[in-house]
Amino acid sequence: MTEVLLLGRRATREIVRYPEATIPTLFIPLFFLIVNIGQVSKTFPSTTPFLNGQGYVAFQLPVSLMFAVATATSGLALVTEIDLGYFDKLLVAPIHRSSIIFGRLTADLVRGIASSTLVLLVGIALGARIETGVAGAIVIVMLAAGFGVAYAGFGLLVALKTRNVQATQSSFLLFFPLLFLTPNFVPFDRLSPLMETLARINPVSYVIVGMRGLIIDGWNFGQIAVAVLVIVGLGAILTGLSLRVIATYDR
Amino acid sequence: MLETGEHTHETHITTTDHNSDAAIAARSLRRTFKGGIEAVRDIDLTVWSGEVFGFLGPNGAGKTTTVRMLCTLLPPTAGSAMVAGLDVVADAAEVRRRIGVALQEIGLDPVQTGRELLELQCGLYGVTGERARTRTQELLELVGLTEAADRRTKTYSGGMKRRLDLASALVHAPEVLFLDEPTTGLDPASRLTIWDEVRRINAGGATVFLTTQYLEEADKLCDRLAIIDDGQIVAEGTPEQLKAEMGHDVVSVSVQAGDVAATEAALTGLTGLERVVVEPDGLALYVADGPGSIAEIVRLLEREQIGLGPISVSRPSLDDVFLKATGRRLEGQEQPGQATEVSQ
Repeated sequence: MTEVLLLGRRATREIVRYPEATIPTLFIPLFFLIVNIGQVSKTFPSTTPFLNGQGYVAFQLPVSLMFAVATATSGLALVTEIDLGYFDKLLVAPIHRSSIIFGRLTADLVRGIASSTLVLLVGIALGARIETGVAGAIVIVMLAAGFGVAYAGFGLLVALKTRNVQATQSSFLLFFPLLFLTPNFVPFDRLSPLMETLARINPVSYVIVGMRGLIIDGWNFGQIAVAVLVIVGLGAILTGLSLRVIATYDR
Repeated sequence: MLETGEHTHETHITTTDHNSDAAIAARSLRRTFKGGIEAVRDIDLTVWSGEVFGFLGPNGAGKTTTVRMLCTLLPPTAGSAMVAGLDVVADAAEVRRRIGVALQEIGLDPVQTGRELLELQCGLYGVTGERARTRTQELLELVGLTEAADRRTKTYSGGMKRRLDLASALVHAPEVLFLDEPTTGLDPASRLTIWDEVRRINAGGATVFLTTQYLEEADKLCDRLAIIDDGQIVAEGTPEQLKAEMGHDVVSVSVQAGDVAATEAALTGLTGLERVVVEPDGLALYVADGPGSIAEIVRLLEREQIGLGPISVSRPSLDDVFLKATGRRLEGQEQPGQATEVSQ
């Protein structure tokens, strides 16, 4: 545990000292938030049934939150470390190899909380109202940060498997279909049949729905539970694979 | 590079196979990479406790692969190795507690300061809190980095990075210290500083396994050394033993480039001549008695009317040992292909 905390503190320090790695990951979600609202807010006024009296910003906010936290930053930091040779120094230290992964994920949790809080505050400044109040806002931030941690496992996996900076950077592109094959612009029932089917089998949809419910509709513990299950399941698979790869790295 | 093949552990070392004073003992150690590249081919190696042991060889000879196997970073394809009395495969975790490692690629995190890096390294070896801070300060003083301690390591010069990397390998006072080409790329002054630190660490009781491609480094620093070439150990002993085994002097004769072939022919019958190596601007003559042969060399060349340039006699160097063992020189004094052995 001490190893994880030590390596987590170091990785978090890296985020603070290297803001160039985090700022671009915030630019895209905020850009999409503002552009999407500007383009469709007249199409979906606050009288639209699924907005429950709110502006379209409330509907789009979860999508931007997902964008803000799903990054390949940890994977990139890891592959850079492999490139520089510091990774070997960690491998030769008498620590569990898993602590290298969990240390990185600790920093992802910190980054996820900070990024999603910022995006949420921007959303509120643009007119979104959190129906479930401060407690709901905290749950939204934790869901977003949790998803960021779960998704970070993918970047770590690509970094360990390829040991290649470009490949790790490109791994972020996979998130686009995952994010856009969801009820990101309209609810499930407004999608075409094919898109609805794809959105319903995409687990990312349920994290968006869970957060959206907390913003627009109020407490729905069933939706929150499904979102948590998706996050835990995704995290277990991707982190599990990363742990397996690091355990057999060069062996 | 990706590895291939299962670790077959065909040869095992038991505690009775080797003296208990051995800090490192490798038997038939082999590493084959993907594509069948045999980086290390069945090497046997014993390093005694308290020694500075040099592992000398050119780039690509198998030095780093050997170090990575001994440090538990890379499993052997076959054979076995014990470090600090423990098997590097079966007891890898315990081996790591007892060794310090500074690899060829300096493993520093550029975002951290020198002090932060050492304190983290202390923590990873179980030294925490006030003990970690004290140990960090000791190490910073040891490697002369107290003034730069609170600067990020990306601002350090190559020599400073090397010294910090060395310090980070010492946080837990390791029994065996592996240094993979610790002075490669350093200026002469930084190199001397590293040598002093290695001597000091060794005087403190640590066994040092040092790879190098510098003959002078091996000669000055190492109690014993092995020469590795093409994945195999081709010579082993103390620097003095290895040089003494050469049993001859080297007479370097400079002539006009166009006269080299004629000079070679003229000196074929030189008394005590063991070997001739043709170099671009002359010949290296391996003779039993260097000073005694000079007069004869001058006479033979005068008879053939060959103009003689500078002539010098030297005792055998490690480079000569390397040349004898591998058929080529190590440090670029003579590139492969330029030197041609003409007689034995």
